[in-house]
Amino acid sequence: MKILITGASGAIARLVAGALSPKYELTGVDPRPAPSETHFPGKFVVADYHSRKLDEIFRNDRFDAVMHLGRIRESQKYSPQYRFQMNVVGTQKLLDLCKVGGVKNLIILSTYHVYGAHKLNSLSLTESAPLRASQSFPELADAVELDHAAVNFMWREREIRTSILRPTNVIGKHVRNTICSLLRSGVCPRVFGFDPLMQFVDEKDLARALILALENPIPGVFNVGGEGVIALSHAIRRAEAVSVPIPPLVSASFVRLLSEMSGIPFPPYLVEYFKYPTVVNDDAFRKAFGYVPKVKTTTSLRNLGPISERPRLALSSLDESV
Amino acid sequence: MLKRFLMETDWEQVKTVIRALDRVEILEVPGLEDRIERLGIELNSAGFDRWGLHPDTLRKFAPYLYFLYKKYFRVETAGIEKIPEGRVLFIGNHGGQVPLDAMMAGLALFIEGEPPRVARAMVERWVPTVPFVSSLFTRIGAMVGDPMNCRELLQHDQSVMVFPEGVRGSGKLFKDRYQLQRFGTGFMRLALETGTPIVPVAIIGTEETYPSVFNFELLAKAVGAPYFPVTPFFPLLGPLGLLPLPSKITVRFGEPLRFEGDPGESEESIRAKVQTVKDALQEEIHKGLKLRGENIFTGAAK
Repeated sequence: MKILITGASGAIARLVAGALSPKYELTGVDPRPAPSETHFPGKFVVADYHSRKLDEIFRNDRFDAVMHLGRIRESQKYSPQYRFQMNVVGTQKLLDLCKVGGVKNLIILSTYHVYGAHKLNSLSLTESAPLRASQSFPELADAVELDHAAVNFMWREREIRTSILRPTNVIGKHVRNTICSLLRSGVCPRVFGFDPLMQFVDEKDLARALILALENPIPGVFNVGGEGVIALSHAIRRAEAVSVPIPPLVSASFVRLLSEMSGIPFPPYLVEYFKYPTVVNDDAFRKAFGYVPKVKTTTSLRNLGPISERPRLALSSLDESV
Repeated sequence: MLKRFLMETDWEQVKTVIRALDRVEILEVPGLEDRIERLGIELNSAGFDRWGLHPDTLRKFAPYLYFLYKKYFRVETAGIEKIPEGRVLFIGNHGGQVPLDAMMAGLALFIEGEPPRVARAMVERWVPTVPFVSSLFTRIGAMVGDPMNCRELLQHDQSVMVFPEGVRGSGKLFKDRYQLQRFGTGFMRLALETGTPIVPVAIIGTEETYPSVFNFELLAKAVGAPYFPVTPFFPLLGPLGLLPLPSKITVRFGEPLRFEGDPGESEESIRAKVQTVKDALQEEIHKGLKLRGENIFTGAAK
């Protein structure tokens, strides 16, 4: 079976590829060069998702499955226009190519951020909950549009089995997202007086979830969580960091200043996620795929440590059951 | 002005008051660990349950809550043995500006219930915006009164406490005490859907703790609260006016009510069923008020 993996330079893709490599023929694509190309077990192409290079990849090979893990995360590094090009236009293009190229299984990695942090959120958001993120946070509009495009595609193209996964905060040794950077930095801001419930999923559990979805494709939209909920302050403590409470009224501007000064990314929308809980219910995924997260939230928080640049990615790094 | 105030303050006296506060009797809840154990909550490695209940927080606050329960409000219960096994939907009367009613009824179920249980209180939609309160409430098992939350809890065999009067109840003025306001009907559809028995809970005493004489709506709007009570003591006496009056509280559990029907029934027939619950609750309230007598602080007759 031939598999195309986007976002191949990312931590999750490398974990997944490491686990799949002897069994399947892999091609990786990412706009960023691989941290070290030898570590991607298969062909690796540097390409923007909206560029013609992507057509070429599909012309040269016929893929049975596509794992779209490459979403440019919101950060100061990329402009919203660039993110829209990559995430929305790029995804749209990838979906078209999947359809033309006769792909049978498609797995798309979205995020729980699409639900948006809102005071009216229920404490157990199912997949049918409204996606409020773009309403309050224009920075997240591209993530919501990507999710919408994926869900539309799933319904329209029934012959392609499409699973869309919306994981909670992904943490792990190799992950370089905002929440991990904050927890690693040793100093994590909090909104004074607020301590929402958070959910974390370990990188290994997410990789397992993606492989489950690949090997036993069931179309649908699924939340993917870890072991359960933990209050933000507890999570910070477990990661051996110190929380800094910031008064809610000044938090947005203050946080921007702070993140510019310290170099630690803190997108303004995160203030809301640090205020109101966005807790998702992943029962559907557990039931459909028999998924059980194996890494305890406290363990993955404790073991966060400094970022590991060159993961030794082998099947053993996930474990035998994969 | 501030300087003069600081200079004239008798710091010795302030210290004495603080020391006195320190001596407030700390009461241990009898058999606390055993009761927490018997709640049968599933905890993750961080010590939280699926909906954010955190027994360690409960342990930390238990002595203070128990002081309020036992010494301050001298809570008594009636009919607690009538509660059926398994999940139950508790329907209570709401009043007194601050959800002391939910707290006291919840404590009664935890401290005196056999077996002890957590009744997850469904709170007003503005609670998540209130600093400190929002996280504390989540830790001790309360959550926003959203039908999705309620359904999920009942489906997972958890007991839920609902105040169908909502803010119409909690914000009610002193003159309207113990008169049930309009009931929401959502709880009845959820009870039918999940086949959950309903137990009316009459909470006597809490509706006098903050005797609101006036709802300052303009100010409420300004601070984003659903109401802003003005009592003879608040805001006149400042923070001191925030102390609830130590009325005697009785929590009365009524006969369990079981309903059958289609959760998608017309609003009219649902409303009829809701009226049955409301009548049962109002009757229980009247019974409780009669038994309490005239003095709201001691519960003695005239």
